[in-house]
Amino acid sequence: DDEVHVRQKVAEVDPQEEADFELDLKAVMQESMEQRRQELRGRPTLNMMIPMNVFEGSIKDHHGRVGGDSGDEGDEESGGSKEVQVKVLVKRGNKQQTKQMYIPRDCSLIQSTKQKEAAELEE
Amino acid sequence: EDTGDDDNYEFGKGDFTEHACRYCGVSNPACVVRCNVPSCRKWFCNSRGNTSGSHIVNHLVRAKHKEVCLHKDSPLGETILECYNCGCRNVFLLGFISAKTESVVVLLCREPCLSVNALKDMNWDLSQWCPLIDDRCFLQWLVKVPSEQEQLRARQISAQQINKVEELWKSNPDASLEDLEKPGVDDEPQSVVLKYEDAYQYQNVFAPLIKLEADYDKMMKESQSKDNLTIRWDIGLNKKRVAYFVFPKEDNELRLVPGDELRLRYSGDAAHPAWQSVGHVIKLTAQEEVALELRASQGVPADVNHGFSVDFVWKSTSFDRMQGAMKAFAVDETSVSGYIYHHLLGHEVEVQMVRNTLPRRFGAPGLPELNASQVFAVKSVLQKPISLIQGPPGTGKTVTSAAIVYHMAKQGQGQVLVCAPSNVAVDQLAEKISATGLKVVRLCAKSREAVSSPVEHLTLHYQVRHLDTSEKSELHKLQQLKDEQGELSSSDEKKYKALKRATEREISQSADVICCTCVGAGDPRLANFRFRQVLIDESTQATEPECLIPLVLGAKQVVLVGDHCQLGPVIMCKKAARAGLAQSLFERLVLLGVKPIRLQVQYRMHPALSEFPSNSFYEGTLQNGVTINERQSSGIDFPWPVPNRPMFFYVQMGQEEISASGTSYLNRTEAANVEKIVTTFLRSGVVPSQIGVITPYEGQRAYIVNYMSRNGALRQQLYKEIEVASVDSFQGREKDYIILSCVRSNEHQGIGFLNDPRRLNVALTRARYGIVILGNPKVLSKQPLWNSLLTHYKEHECLVEGPLNNLKQSMVQFPKPKKIYN
Ligand SMILES: [Zn+2]
Ligand SMILES: [Zn+2]
Ligand SMILES: [Zn+2]
Repeated sequence: DDEVHVRQKVAEVDPQEEADFELDLKAVMQESMEQRRQELRGRPTLNMMIPMNVFEGSIKDHHGRVGGDSGDEGDEESGGSKEVQVKVLVKRGNKQQTKQMYIPRDCSLIQSTKQKEAAELEE
Repeated sequence: EDTGDDDNYEFGKGDFTEHACRYCGVSNPACVVRCNVPSCRKWFCNSRGNTSGSHIVNHLVRAKHKEVCLHKDSPLGETILECYNCGCRNVFLLGFISAKTESVVVLLCREPCLSVNALKDMNWDLSQWCPLIDDRCFLQWLVKVPSEQEQLRARQISAQQINKVEELWKSNPDASLEDLEKPGVDDEPQSVVLKYEDAYQYQNVFAPLIKLEADYDKMMKESQSKDNLTIRWDIGLNKKRVAYFVFPKEDNELRLVPGDELRLRYSGDAAHPAWQSVGHVIKLTAQEEVALELRASQGVPADVNHGFSVDFVWKSTSFDRMQGAMKAFAVDETSVSGYIYHHLLGHEVEVQMVRNTLPRRFGAPGLPELNASQVFAVKSVLQKPISLIQGPPGTGKTVTSAAIVYHMAKQGQGQVLVCAPSNVAVDQLAEKISATGLKVVRLCAKSREAVSSPVEHLTLHYQVRHLDTSEKSELHKLQQLKDEQGELSSSDEKKYKALKRATEREISQSADVICCTCVGAGDPRLANFRFRQVLIDESTQATEPECLIPLVLGAKQVVLVGDHCQLGPVIMCKKAARAGLAQSLFERLVLLGVKPIRLQVQYRMHPALSEFPSNSFYEGTLQNGVTINERQSSGIDFPWPVPNRPMFFYVQMGQEEISASGTSYLNRTEAANVEKIVTTFLRSGVVPSQIGVITPYEGQRAYIVNYMSRNGALRQQLYKEIEVASVDSFQGREKDYIILSCVRSNEHQGIGFLNDPRRLNVALTRARYGIVILGNPKVLSKQPLWNSLLTHYKEHECLVEGPLNNLKQSMVQFPKPKKIYN
């Protein structure tokens, strides 16, 4: 209940500073890309199998991905906008792990899966 | 030597900042990531603040660092972000892809993994690669952006500061933002301001001032060794050794207070080895005698009386607690509510009301009926998160405060914390609050447990000793053993301490109200307590950081009581005072536009005495709650020039002199006349306890004490019982009759201490029945406020000269007042 409304001038970002920063950021990106290209000449080996248990676990709630306000307390700005639950696949050492997370429904990342889902539903 | 058991405790120095953003201090685990470069490992948040990229992206770009790790309490847990396929950790190359049919996502690097065609055949959708850093922020669903509230409460860092600190980190990776703004050794410190961007800026301003004051205090106290002291030995009721000796004081020098720690030394002789012991001051007599209770009784050369030395043992505790409170204020979001945080920093906050059902009547049991302005004060305070109550002299601010605390405690918001800078004020409040029937615990510093207190039965240490239940008998047995033997075996001592701590906690937790000094609120025994409601009395006599100590224990509702028209906190270091450390939080809030609620009816002064202070300091709003009849000194035959006006200004032309110490002033003529007035009062039937002699100068105070005891016309004992004190030390107190000796009488110099209008206000408002002022009108009238005071006395035919038994109106000329102070 500790709500407080502070009236404060919105600090304007200096356009010059913004332009400079954008340039620096691009430089770091560029540099990173080039570094990689020099480091790795050959084709990388593939190590991207999705572990079966991920699929198994998700079959049951395949159509239940509405998420949103499902107990995500920490998120104040979610407001009314719906979110989608995804599994993030990570490696810990050689072990694969998944963690559940919520992604905004309008995230480009899941556009294609959503389309697919919609197509499936129509069938 | 034994340094007591709370010395290792550092208030406000917990490690809640480990993962705080190194730029802005935000520490929500969902919002921060750690830079994974081994030489760096700093945490940053994903908020932009006032800059074009989020803090983490800013850091990575500026420092050319490229790897990060998520927080262990974030949704993904402690995870180094890396390409799922090749393990590349360069965050500038990473992005998410999702599986074609499943809601599974992984991180994949752009180069080379994203361009491997074989992945398409493996159920992965490569068309929608979603970069980890987007719009100069980390993906917000992965690393949350701190809420608006969190951002507002964080340090407001600029792009320039970021560049500077990143530059500094290249040579000194542990540097903090504060290091950027550290002034050089000889620089004047930054001055206090009205509004602060954030609590870090606040800390940047106040921390150096507190440091200056602490250094000055240490230097001054540690240089105050006194040699060749004569000791009178005694044994206290608790069987401890007490050494009595005279410790002369002067202006600007060490003033001892009960609880101070001193080291007593004897260099040894043929029959005695060299000896020293530390003890606490438990009493100071009017004759400047100090009672020092020694910590250890063994080996005391109690058969020797001469040749002792004493040094001051300086403690940094109070200053450490102020620094700790400022730190907690900045880094711990739970220290005070958001509203209070922004309000104290001077941010514009939308008005908030406290939703509480108001009581039907605003008085409290055991207290006198409240008058209209007191009721108004109680009522408004209960509805507001921050309020100021201005209590001019004699307007019953203690009763009003007690009534407020009573109603707060009845609201069921948990325990109420009640503080004041001085022990005397805390004791008075504790007594009044206890009279309402609330359960009060008065927490005293350990060093003051042997100092007698009018509310001893309320003190925690007394309650611990007297909580007479059978389960505590073990503690009592050990206590008795300790008292008798002076110490316990180490296992018993351990047991004793544990039992004592448990009992202390039990008693404190069951109280409705905890009372302690502002500095006492930083006591480790309160470390795990939270107080939503805090009242600070005499808050205009505390520095801001001192006031902050009781507030950072979770305050949501704060009441500051005081009077900014009376004297403020005493700052010894001139540099710190010049920079504004002497301005109280109360005053700054007034300057920020918080309107104090003024108590308007005074119950102390004869109406003739309150007239000038009311007009000069309180815009004429002070009403009299006492009548002339109630302040008539019946049966007292004193030569007041105007019978219905028990006041006069006694014109003195004697010279001022510099006192023997060279640091103060005295005035022999005034001292001689003070004695005559005192004698006249005593002869007319006034008793010594009704009289107070006050003067701004320590030199004059000492001289008057001496003069009266040698030259007093009556029994010497009578004069010894009369309190002679500095004006400053009399703030908050009253006497039936006050004699004020002004001392300064030099045409060419200023009037020093007398220049401060607040000191004059205090001096004029101590008397209930009558006041006599001794001074040189020609010198004093140069200052506008004194000029109007003199004019006031003259107009009422109370400016007089001549012998006491034949006072005549003075014809002394002084210019008309230029402006009236208000
Ligand atoms: Zn780094
Ligand atoms: Zn930050
Ligand atoms: Zn890769």
